[in-house]
Amino acid sequence: MMNLNSIATENLAVAYEDNLVVNGLNMQIPQGKITAIIGPNGCGKSTVLKTVGRILKPKNGMVYLNGDDIRRFTTKEVAQKMAILPQSPQAPAGLTVGELVAYGRFPYQRGLDKLKPEDNKIIAWALEVTKLTELETTAVDNLSGGQRQRVWIAMALAQQTDLILLDEPTTYLDLSYQLEVLELLYRLNREQGCTIVMVLHDLNLAARFADYMVAIRCGDIICHGAPEEIMTTKVLRETFRIDAKIITEPRTGRPTCISYDLIKENEPRPYMKEGAK
Amino acid sequence: MMNQLQKNETYKRKIALRNTAIVVGCAVLLVLSFIISMNTGYTKLPPSDTLRTLFGGGTARENLILFDFRLPRIVVSILVGAGLALSGCIIQGITKNALADPGLLGINAGAGLMIILYVLFFGAHSFLSVFTLPFLALFGAGITAGIIYALAFKKGEGIAPLRLILTGVAVQAGLSSLTTVLVVKLADTQFDFVATWQAGSIWASNWKFVLALLPWLLLLIPYVLSKSRVLDVLNLGDDVAHSLGATVERERRGLLAASVALAASCVAVSGSISFVGLIAPHLARQLVGPRHRILLPICALTGAVLVSAADTIARVVAQPAGIPTGIMVAIIGAPYFLYLLAKSRY
Repeated sequence: MMNLNSIATENLAVAYEDNLVVNGLNMQIPQGKITAIIGPNGCGKSTVLKTVGRILKPKNGMVYLNGDDIRRFTTKEVAQKMAILPQSPQAPAGLTVGELVAYGRFPYQRGLDKLKPEDNKIIAWALEVTKLTELETTAVDNLSGGQRQRVWIAMALAQQTDLILLDEPTTYLDLSYQLEVLELLYRLNREQGCTIVMVLHDLNLAARFADYMVAIRCGDIICHGAPEEIMTTKVLRETFRIDAKIITEPRTGRPTCISYDLIKENEPRPYMKEGAK
Repeated sequence: MMNQLQKNETYKRKIALRNTAIVVGCAVLLVLSFIISMNTGYTKLPPSDTLRTLFGGGTARENLILFDFRLPRIVVSILVGAGLALSGCIIQGITKNALADPGLLGINAGAGLMIILYVLFFGAHSFLSVFTLPFLALFGAGITAGIIYALAFKKGEGIAPLRLILTGVAVQAGLSSLTTVLVVKLADTQFDFVATWQAGSIWASNWKFVLALLPWLLLLIPYVLSKSRVLDVLNLGDDVAHSLGATVERERRGLLAASVALAASCVAVSGSISFVGLIAPHLARQLVGPRHRILLPICALTGAVLVSAADTIARVVAQPAGIPTGIMVAIIGAPYFLYLLAKSRY
C-alpha cells in the first residue's frame, strides 16, 4: 500500500439540533499510525469520529480526505478508502461470520452482482488475518464478545481500506477480550500498514497501543502528541479533572496511570492515608 | 488450514443445496395449495373434472365455477400473500424490528379510512370501484406513511427506526378511532361492505381484481429484489450502512415507499389482512436466514402459500358463507407466532 489515505479536519463544528458539541476542531491524523482519542463522557469523542467518518454532517468547517473535501466523494468512494465501526454493532440473528464479512464488499458491488472470485479472495484474506477462517460458517450470535468484534473488524478489512475508524472497540468486553481486539488492531497497523483511529476510554490501554493520542474536552482538543506527552498529570488534570499518578510501565515502556483521585481542594478524603499527596 | 477451507466450502455448498431444496419445497406447497383450492368449495370438483375443465372440456357450470369464481380468487390470494409478505419483510429489515409489519406504517389504517370515505360518498357498488380501489388505498396509505415519516424525521439525524415505529403506532391509533367514528355513520349496505373489507375477505372473485393488482406487483417486486443487498446492509444498523457506502436515508425512503405501495395495493383488493406481513418474514428467516437475496423470494413464496391455504380453509370450514381470509390467516398464524416467540431466545 503505497498511497496511504489521509484524513484531517479544519475548523470543524458539529451540533446536535442547536447544541454545539464540537467547535473549531483542527486535527491531522498521522498516516500509518494508531491514534487514540481520549476524553471524558459526553465530550464529543464519538461525535468527532462520526463526523470524520461522514456519518454526521458538520455544521461548519471541513473534513479532508486525501486533501480534498470529503463531500466531493460519493459515499461509495469514501467507503472504499475509509471504514468506520460504531460502538457495539449488532449483527442480524442467524448471519454467519463469512456472510457478514462478505458485506464488506458492498462498496465494490453494483446492482444484482454476485461475489466475484476476487471478492472471495479478499474475504478469505480478511478472515485469515483476523484468525476467523475456522469460524467462517458459525453464526455471529454464537461467538464471544471478542470474536464478534474481530468479525466486524474483518468486515472493515474486506472493504479494503487502509483507514479504519473505531468507536470504543473494547466496550463491554472482558479484560482478555479487550487485549485480543487491540492486539489485532496493532497487528493490522504494523503488518498491513492500516491507519487506525479509535476512541478509547481506558487510558492505559490507549497509552499502550497508540502511537499518537488526542485528548478532547468539551469538543476542544486539549493536547495531542505521543503517549508520553499526553499521559501527564497536567494534561489529565485538564482533560478529566483528575489528579493522576503516572509511571512508566516496565514491561511496555509506555506511561501508565497507576492511581488517580478527584480534584477536591481542601475537602477531606477519608480513604486516603494521612499526609498523602 | 487447507482442510478448514475445504470444510467451509463443503458447508457452503450444503447450504446452497438446502436453500434450493427449500425454494422447491415452497413452490411444491404453493402448487399443492393451488390444486386443493381449485377442488374445494361449495361445489366440489374432483381433480379429474378440474383438469378436464382447465383444458377446455368442462360443462358451462364447471367453467363458471372454475374460471369465474375459483381461479381469480386463488390468483388474488397468491398475489396478495406474496405482496404483503414482501412489504413486511422490507419494513422489518429497515426498522431492524422483528415485530414491525405493514400495519405499523398506517397502511391498513390509512387505506381503510380512505375506503370508508369513498364508500360514504359514492356508495359501495359504484362503477369505478375495482380499479379505483388500489389507487384510493394507495393514496390513503401514502398520505399516512408520509405523515408518519415526516413526524419521525429529525433534521440532521434522519429517521431513527424506533421513532418511526412509535410514531406509526400513535398515528395508526388515531386513524383507527377516526374510522370507527365514520363507520357508525354508514348505511347498512355500506357497513356490510366496509366490515367485510376490514375482516380481510378476498371477495374479489373476478379477474378485474387480478388485473388491478398485477401491474403494481410487476412494477414493485423487481425493484425490491434489486435492492436485496441494500436491505442486507441497512439491516446492520444506520452507522454501519453509512460506513459501507449506502445512501441510508435515500434508500430507506425508496424502500419504505415501495413497501407502502405493495401493501396498499394488496390491501385494496383483499381487505385488511395484516398478519401475513408479520409472520411470513419470520417463517422465511427461520428457513433461510437473514440474507435478502434468498430471503425475499422465500418470503414471497411463504406469504403466497399462507394466504392461499388460509383462503382454501376459510372457504371449506364455514360453508357456504366462509370465514374472511384475513381472520383465517390470524387463526393459523397467531398460535404459530406464539410458538416462535416461546422458542426464541429474546
